[in-house]
Amino acid sequence: MLNQQIQSLCDTVKHAYETKQALNIQGGNSKSFYANHVDAQTISTTDLSGIIEYQPSELYITAHAGTPLQIIEDTLTEHKQMFSFEPPYYSPSTTLGGSIACGLSGPRRPYADAIRDCILGTDIINGKGEHLSFGGKVIKNVAGYDVSRLMCGAFGTLGIITQASIKVLPKPEHEITLLFEHHQQQAKKNIQDWLNSLIPITATYFQNDHLWIRISGLENIVSTIHKKLGGEKIHSSKTFWQAIKNHQADFFQTDIPLWRCIVPHNTNEIVLQGESCFEWNGGLRWIKSEETAEKVFKTCQTLNGYASLFRSKEKPADCFAPMNNQVKKLHMNLKHAFDPENILNPGRMYSWC
Amino acid sequence: MYSQKSLNTDEIHHKHMLDRSEIPALFSSCLPKACIFTSIEKLRPYECDAYTAYRSLPLAVLLPETKQQVIDIVKTCQKYQLPIVTRGAGTGLSGGAHPIENGILLNLSKLNQIYEINHELQYARVGPGVRNLAISEAASTYDLYYAPDPSSQIACTIGGNIAENSGGVHCLKYGLTVHNILEITFVNIDGEVITVGSECYENPGYDLLALLTGSEGMLAIMIQAKVKLLPKPANKEVILAAFNRIEDAGEAVANIIASGVIPAGLEMMDQAVIQATENFCQAGYPTDAAAILLCELDGFDEALQWEIQQVTQQCNQCHATSVRKANNAQEQELFWKGRKSAFPAIGQLAPDYLCMDGTIPRQHLAHVLGEISNISERIGLPVANVFHAGDGNLHPLIMYDANNAGELDKAEEIGSQILELCVSVGGTITGEHGVGIEKLNQMCVQFNSQELIQFEQVKLAFDPERLFNPGKAIPTLQRCAEFGAMHVHAGELPFKDIPRF
Amino acid sequence: MQTNLPKELLATTTGERADEILRKCVHCGFCNATCPTHQVTGDELDGPRGRIYLIKEMLEGNITTSATLDHLDQCLTCLNCETTCPSGVNYGELVEIGREHIEAKNIQNKITHIKRQLICATFPYPKRFKPLYSIASLLGLAPKRKSIVAIKTATYSKKVILLDGCVQSVTNPEINHALKTLLDQCSIQAISVKAAHCCGAIHHHNGAPEKALAIIKNNIDLWWPHIENGCEAIIMTASGCGLTVKDYARILKHDKEYAQKAQRISQLTQDACEFFASFKFIKNNATYKSVAFHPPCTLQHGQRINNVVEKLLASAGFECVDFTDKHLCCGSAGTYSLLQPALATQLKTNKIYQIMQAKPDVIATANIGCLIHLQKDSSIPVKHWLELVDIQIS
Repeated sequence: MLNQQIQSLCDTVKHAYETKQALNIQGGNSKSFYANHVDAQTISTTDLSGIIEYQPSELYITAHAGTPLQIIEDTLTEHKQMFSFEPPYYSPSTTLGGSIACGLSGPRRPYADAIRDCILGTDIINGKGEHLSFGGKVIKNVAGYDVSRLMCGAFGTLGIITQASIKVLPKPEHEITLLFEHHQQQAKKNIQDWLNSLIPITATYFQNDHLWIRISGLENIVSTIHKKLGGEKIHSSKTFWQAIKNHQADFFQTDIPLWRCIVPHNTNEIVLQGESCFEWNGGLRWIKSEETAEKVFKTCQTLNGYASLFRSKEKPADCFAPMNNQVKKLHMNLKHAFDPENILNPGRMYSWC
Repeated sequence: MYSQKSLNTDEIHHKHMLDRSEIPALFSSCLPKACIFTSIEKLRPYECDAYTAYRSLPLAVLLPETKQQVIDIVKTCQKYQLPIVTRGAGTGLSGGAHPIENGILLNLSKLNQIYEINHELQYARVGPGVRNLAISEAASTYDLYYAPDPSSQIACTIGGNIAENSGGVHCLKYGLTVHNILEITFVNIDGEVITVGSECYENPGYDLLALLTGSEGMLAIMIQAKVKLLPKPANKEVILAAFNRIEDAGEAVANIIASGVIPAGLEMMDQAVIQATENFCQAGYPTDAAAILLCELDGFDEALQWEIQQVTQQCNQCHATSVRKANNAQEQELFWKGRKSAFPAIGQLAPDYLCMDGTIPRQHLAHVLGEISNISERIGLPVANVFHAGDGNLHPLIMYDANNAGELDKAEEIGSQILELCVSVGGTITGEHGVGIEKLNQMCVQFNSQELIQFEQVKLAFDPERLFNPGKAIPTLQRCAEFGAMHVHAGELPFKDIPRF
Repeated sequence: MQTNLPKELLATTTGERADEILRKCVHCGFCNATCPTHQVTGDELDGPRGRIYLIKEMLEGNITTSATLDHLDQCLTCLNCETTCPSGVNYGELVEIGREHIEAKNIQNKITHIKRQLICATFPYPKRFKPLYSIASLLGLAPKRKSIVAIKTATYSKKVILLDGCVQSVTNPEINHALKTLLDQCSIQAISVKAAHCCGAIHHHNGAPEKALAIIKNNIDLWWPHIENGCEAIIMTASGCGLTVKDYARILKHDKEYAQKAQRISQLTQDACEFFASFKFIKNNATYKSVAFHPPCTLQHGQRINNVVEKLLASAGFECVDFTDKHLCCGSAGTYSLLQPALATQLKTNKIYQIMQAKPDVIATANIGCLIHLQKDSSIPVKHWLELVDIQIS
């Protein structure tokens, strides 16, 4: 299937390998604002499009990397299934391959899966132009190193993803979103108490002393929980979370640098100038701040977390917080193992990798 | 020794010329003399893990008591180019901790401290030698537990679990080890201590956590881990359904999942196993059934009621001859007891068995079980099947008698054919036991030479001198060429253009 | 597991039996998880799987030195591994064969050997042990003996045999006294056969199987007339002795003269808790409120009796508290605490620590060995559960 297209991509990479020419890998080009810019010849995966295999009872879907995510998610919805990591879209052109390469998970992440948890297998073209297949279609698979999962969040620097098999789950029958007015401390405490008492929370968002939580499950259960917790049931749950996930909500419409800070969810306060909101029980904080990159990186690092500059007009040398030398060395070794001539998205994730 | 096989170590690089008697002096500055074993008498019991078909004597066994001792040992090994095989409880079924003759066997069972249970962030920080079950026992004070539960959970250590990416019966809903590890601290080949991962929901850079999990001790030595703890499920129900045809049971599995239920556990047993376990422990299984399904559901009361209804309905629609729900905790335990006794029960039928571990997409279940029975008949040894039906993980048990010459070879041939069958339907040769030394040949079937070279490159990125557990998990191309020469597929000669490494 | 025992050995009863046991073992390693010594040392050779391997190597004729002996000596024979083993490996029997085999090879640890001879020469004989114990008490090395007013048992139609015990009759006669009181209240006549002291376990486990056999046969001869007279049970207050007497049948299986009698004796033997299992005690004077019951290995693993004493204690009005690692040995293990003091002390410290986490007022147990061993380092009293029940209801 699509052998010709894949072969042509392999040939391009092989040629680049031989001539040591860098390549800029592109899917739907919806996340080019994210991380570093690569100044090189573009190699596009959009020709690799289409669902290869999907049987709802098998709980996985296999598709070509360039398949628009929208098409896949629509197909899943038809069969009352979903990607449990709720991938964000920053444009309708978002592809499966790009989502995997950027490794971003949506609101459901702490309550279901991260995108990396759902990778069952990937086919890739490495930096020598070889088309390789790792992982498979089954959840339990420990043959060889977990190279397929390694592709998730690697920004294409280890290989061009050509197809992937992803775990899917049943979609909850019913979802509602409840709005509460709480201080941040109280909001976080409530979330934790509710989670400990096994309330099926599937998303949380906090901003300006307002807490939104999404409850999923059978209709009667969801309404029982609503009665128990109180809170105001908002009009359109689905639209609300889409706006958060895809950054269409007002908070994200800004020219101020937008920082994505990942910290342990029980972290009290990230002391940085600027307006903030949180998702993931407090584990993901968005901060609009003019603080220097160095300060943001350092502040989050001290909290045992990490920060990245998500959206900004001006970019520092690296959008991701620096890592220690030993881990850096492992990254460089791995990069070399997959892409010995450093031609696949060089510098896309870190300037040195 | 004797008639049993010894590991082919030709492919393991012999770099040093050290003799066993020189070892204690080399490590005397690393750890107490009493923790260094070199007498053959004391090494024998270490010559294999729970995969006993092959045995080799290590050069020495080292039993460190502190993390610092591990670091010093690694540095010494690197200095003298001594290969290191790391071992926990030695319960692995694929020979991942099988010693190599010119190497050190590093036994980490004394690094068994639980350093911290953090109930707020819900993790446990533990040493590699902590037993899987001990984590859940310690966490139970806070009504938390560690989800992955390989059947050896009473004995196996978290270090081994991470090395093998162990599974268990609850993987469909709760994932494998890789989904339940937050952070790993390891010693690299230079003796440096490195931490990857965190207690956060996401980590930057390459997913080294995933890469290390399941790397079979070939990339680094884990000395501490933070593992995820989950709140104990509110309620639990167990349903036992019997079928007259394996195909019906397989269809029921597909339909249960298609109905939107994700069971906590979904196990299938064939007639051979049902009868063996019933003789062994009287769990109340219907012995005339061709297959039974054991389905565990957990969650909230109302959701649980809905799930029970779905499962019962789907089983009935697939012509189940009986569907029973356990009435109380004792009965639940009894239903599970049969499943958990499957291996020892088979052990009563034959003195030895090989346990296979292929995983297949569930839709091919009936076909694969049919083929397994053909292979078994053709080669002439009985095979019984237990099956983590929910996640497609098969455990065919090939029964043989190691004291009868030639039976191990036959058993291995059956195993080999079963695994190739799994690969041919889009599955994998190992779901949770790891490749170790047991499935090296089958790796040549699942991966082509370029993919194997890529694996080797990953290995070299961590361990350029190939000192960590050499000869395991990833076969050399030479081995595959030899294996291919025996197993020519469809007239195509595999690996004709191999570079050597 | 594959074995390769020499033909000559396989031709013997023990060789054949050893092979049969070895072949049941699939080397899964579950046993190591619950082995007290393996938990302490972390060494494969200090767990059952490693010891089984050492025995296999020895029986197969490979080099065997005192290293193997040391690891076999360090085994408590607590049989926790037999409870854990999914394959039903008879470890206790195998280790016994292993110990006899290595003894026959003349591999021995001199100090242990002398200690064992001393133990065998004194402990089983109250007449020799009593003066020694009195001296030890005077020197403050052992607790003072309680004086017991012998109770006169009335004659009832229901009769049972009691074993006074060797060490117990000297150090803690109050235990059997408590039992007799309880039996009397239940209108059961207790018969103590004075000449029967030791069950034979001390010799049996300390390299003197011949002498053990003589003691066992003597006991059978002494009890037999009472059994023929209609005694309905032999009641044990020490679970260690109980396990041994229940094992008479196996020990004398091949003895033409005694096999049948031994089988009958073993069948009639009951631990006191089994005998009283269905009795309801009346709650009375509460001296202690909460009690931690430490089940001796010979009770929970050897005789596989679980949760019976706890229920009895609860029925007598005690609050029975649970504690971590209840399944582990306290380190007493018969004469083990005298032969392997370092490991025994470590295990005792662990045991007392875990018990004290549950904050009981008193520790109860069901075997004299555990009682004496724990008493030495415990800050709260250690009693036989029968004493507690006796105090509670009298």
